[in-house]
Amino acid sequence: MNGGWLRRLRDELAQAWVIVVKDVKVYYLRPGMIMFGFLMPFFMFFSFSVRREMAAAQGIARLLALTTFFTASAAGPFIIPLERRLGTYDRLLAAPMSLLTLLLGKTAVGAFFAIVVSTFTLLVGVTAFGAIVAHPGLLLAGVLPGAFAFSALGLIFGSIPTRNPGDVQMPSTLLRWGLLFISGVFIPLEEMAPAARAVAYLSPLTYAQDLMNHAVPGKGLLNPWLDLAVLLAAGVLFLVPSLRLHRRARRLGR
Amino acid sequence: MKAIQSLDNAIEVYNLTKYYGDLLAVDHISFQVRQGEVFGFLGPNGAGKTTTQRMLTTLLEPTEGRIVIFGHDLARDPYPIKRQMGLVPEESNVYTELTAWDNLMFTARLYRVPRSERAVRARELLETFGLWEKRDVKVENFSKGMRRRLSIAMAIIHKPTLLFLDEPTPGLDAQSARAIRDLIRRLNAEGTTIFLTTHQIEEANQLCDRVAIINHGRIAAIDTPERLKAAFRRVQSVEVALEPDGQAHGGGLRALPGVTTAVKMGDKWRLYTEDPSALLPHVVRYAEKHGLRVVSLSTLGPSLEDVFLAITGREVGAVRHDTAARGGEQGAKGRRGRR
Repeated sequence: MNGGWLRRLRDELAQAWVIVVKDVKVYYLRPGMIMFGFLMPFFMFFSFSVRREMAAAQGIARLLALTTFFTASAAGPFIIPLERRLGTYDRLLAAPMSLLTLLLGKTAVGAFFAIVVSTFTLLVGVTAFGAIVAHPGLLLAGVLPGAFAFSALGLIFGSIPTRNPGDVQMPSTLLRWGLLFISGVFIPLEEMAPAARAVAYLSPLTYAQDLMNHAVPGKGLLNPWLDLAVLLAAGVLFLVPSLRLHRRARRLGR
Repeated sequence: MKAIQSLDNAIEVYNLTKYYGDLLAVDHISFQVRQGEVFGFLGPNGAGKTTTQRMLTTLLEPTEGRIVIFGHDLARDPYPIKRQMGLVPEESNVYTELTAWDNLMFTARLYRVPRSERAVRARELLETFGLWEKRDVKVENFSKGMRRRLSIAMAIIHKPTLLFLDEPTPGLDAQSARAIRDLIRRLNAEGTTIFLTTHQIEEANQLCDRVAIINHGRIAAIDTPERLKAAFRRVQSVEVALEPDGQAHGGGLRALPGVTTAVKMGDKWRLYTEDPSALLPHVVRYAEKHGLRVVSLSTLGPSLEDVFLAITGREVGAVRHDTAARGGEQGAKGRRGRR
């Protein structure tokens, strides 16, 4: 019995990985992914950071939070509706694996893209701007669970039963921009009014930014363990609405 | 309804129902598909064919009813059943950014085909489907027929014992369509149970051991093609080609005793009757009386298409006559059994 469950678990993990590899191959050069996933965080960063005095480390911490957040959360709303439209999503739904495995695979795709873009950002920051990472372990702890949590957030929008990526891009972009402005990315937490800070604590991006602040310039406001715990919990919690939306789509036939 | 499960059945469906909001798409249908048969699921557009197939393949949740596949209740644990299923949807759902080889390897990995067998099976299938030379070409450069073949190859790389095919041949050239029909026969001969959803009636006639005709979400008939045809003897006919100018004699032929409908089929007339042998002398006399030469004269049994049209409530002659009046021949596509 245990052997059966272990084999099943091994199979499901392998299937999730197969989905990641396939999606990376298929979607990394799609215009929607390049625009919303790869270029958008850099546009945002330069829009709000140019001509403002900022240390290299502080800028890199901000850019890392932005790339992790934007790239990870862009994949789900783009890939899943597109796959629904092309009929390839049915191939995945009909395959012998659980819905959770499929969603974990899709979450890992967004996380993978975010990790790659964040790594690129870090390399440029270190080599071109001389940024020094104060705590590399915390950086890893910020990027990995952060990428997973934000990808799971994007997956909620991707799970809305529609075949048109445009239908979910607008609400997902609205939410992402909203989170960006309340989460201490452009206005540091310590400079916020108490009410604004209370709102900021509702956003998982706040904790990712705080972890990046701990990791790169070495100056965060919250306990880094709290940041990490919130990101991990958010990653798990964000999968719940996706599961429900997928079940609803299966009932509605969309 | 109490389910009586049989090990001989690949699929057992009990009281299956699907509502989309208030719209009843599938209305309490029950049927069985035996292991090793090719089962045709026919119906006009919107009859509930694809909805039923999507419920059988776990893509859609039934509102009511029970599905048992190879003795397993699909609602309880679909995992072991899904491993035995292959699905070829109406749209060729291949990854156009990947090569044919990568598409097959992806599916093989997804279905956990053992590493040692993946490449061997992929090569076998690509060779069988005439795609081996194109294995490293991205699928975006493939024709519709090639994509269809690849889609089928992807559905069978894990050697399913039950294969669902949704409209496998429409839009394909005759060569590709025939290749796919031959493949269906071969897979079936090797023991695969085939569930074929189609509105290509002649295809069902050629391929299926049994067919179910679904109309307005209900099973209207279910039997072998020949038994269904035998039950509809009233749609027998006499087909006659007359010269010169035989096409101008529709009114006269329609007035012959026993003719219920006359339908122009290209350069011929098809005269529907319940008694073809009684009609033959009348046709010959009509030709003699009008100085016409009988180029060909044959009696025809009911085709599956006739049965289908009769069951789905469309008048056999009326539909075709409209088509003939527009100068088309769409009603005459099916090959008919000569008596």
